[in-house]
Amino acid sequence: MASNVEKKLTKQDLNKVGVLTFFEQACFSFERMQAPGFTISMVPAFKKIYGDSQKDLSEFMTYNMQFMNTEPHMAALLQGLILSMEENHEDRKLISGIRNGLFGPFAGLGDSIFWFTLLPISAAIACSLAKDGSALGPILYIALWLIAGFSKILFVRWGYNLGSAAIGTISQNSKYLTKAAGILGITVIGGLIPSYVSVKFADTLVFGVGGTTVQSVFDHILPNVLPLAVVFLIYWLFSRKRANVLYIILGIIVISIIISALGWM
Amino acid sequence: MQITLVQGLLLALVGFICGIDQLTENFYWFRPIVVSFFAGIALGNVSLGVACGAVSELSYLGLLTVGGSVPPNPLMAGMMTTVLAYTTGQSPETALGLSLPFALLAQWVGIFFNTFFVVYVHKFDAYAKDADADSFKKLFISGIFLRAGADAIVVFLCAFALQAPIQSFVNTFPTFLIHGFEIAGGVLPAVGLGLLLMTTLRQENLPYLFVGFLMATFLTMPNVLPIAIAGAALAAINFMYEKKIDSALSQAVTPTDGGESDGI
Repeated sequence: MASNVEKKLTKQDLNKVGVLTFFEQACFSFERMQAPGFTISMVPAFKKIYGDSQKDLSEFMTYNMQFMNTEPHMAALLQGLILSMEENHEDRKLISGIRNGLFGPFAGLGDSIFWFTLLPISAAIACSLAKDGSALGPILYIALWLIAGFSKILFVRWGYNLGSAAIGTISQNSKYLTKAAGILGITVIGGLIPSYVSVKFADTLVFGVGGTTVQSVFDHILPNVLPLAVVFLIYWLFSRKRANVLYIILGIIVISIIISALGWM
Repeated sequence: MQITLVQGLLLALVGFICGIDQLTENFYWFRPIVVSFFAGIALGNVSLGVACGAVSELSYLGLLTVGGSVPPNPLMAGMMTTVLAYTTGQSPETALGLSLPFALLAQWVGIFFNTFFVVYVHKFDAYAKDADADSFKKLFISGIFLRAGADAIVVFLCAFALQAPIQSFVNTFPTFLIHGFEIAGGVLPAVGLGLLLMTTLRQENLPYLFVGFLMATFLTMPNVLPIAIAGAALAAINFMYEKKIDSALSQAVTPTDGGESDGI
């Protein structure tokens, strides 16, 4: 289409969108979720393209106030794309269609990178440092997520520069990326189980009089088999029994208190 | 130990700052490990805050992502684990168990706001129609302050105003009850991990769980970074392999087609 349109957005304008989109998720409501923040963080850049045209601004804000729920980095990517399409004067029905078609698949990609891979890994490394009271743990965590937060500026630029065709390839490749991120995440979760879940019977709990301790029996089968079993039990309760998180946590506390009263752990 | 008024106000400030981040999920300052760290600084006992953060962080992994159910609030969990460990002198594990009611209270506040902001949405719609970006922006900012302000007030009330009754209540607990909370504190990270598995575990990646598990069980490592690197290597192998297979398949099946997927 109109490919020779004059570029009105400078790098600074895009950086501003990147910073404003830090607040993309504020005013989150069950009805439209992230729509208000998604809309308002693009408005200054949009005004740069269309000047004071009230009609265009109204149309722009209205279609962006439609339902929006995605991973915030992916929102930044999408915002860059929307602004580049607006700058090229593409049909707003097309832009809005792309907006509504992409945020769902992108949410899956973003969540699998940030929530399910980066979060457990950063948390695990920070916690292994913090366990002994070293402030290095949280400081490292904060530093890492500062970078992740500021990287939204880059995501806006990418979305703006890539254009809709390239973004389409990303969403095709996202199948492989999501799977790869899943493998990394699962490996780390496997590693977290022995380090952070502690289920250990008391040394005083023995079979018969002066027999072997219950814990040593489990340790001979496979060390850390109890934490592994508990994680799988909880997973099973969630996935097969659709258990409520609250009941599981309360259940753990009640059972722990009973076991403590019996002197088993 | 007592929390002074100044400390209480500092904690409220931490609640406000981390509350903004909880809303935006931008720098992950709403995570227990960061909240506990800041709370430890506010209370003048950094190592306690750090230790409490380590215990509470993993229990709240993945908790935000489950739709439909009511997950307890990670910000408040990190905050109250530190506060309770400080005021009652209990271990971080015990304090984590005791912090649960507060994490629930804060979550109900969160649900209230997610519902309340629906009122805002209709105002936003009207401003959008009128192209009134200034009013839109003002309302938006007021929403941020309102939500984070509520977090600050809840933190101040729970940490400062209620500390005496909480302290005397916990002091009536018999040892077995306290120890029970400690055991629970050791098991609770399994909830966070179980929830993460809910969203990430597939039949095809289950084997990798055991790779990580066996590495952590039988190797001595300073932290989980080596496991993450091994996981990244496995992920890269899988990524390249699957792409290769798929492209070979699409060439074999539809030689004329460009391999365009249906994009579902």
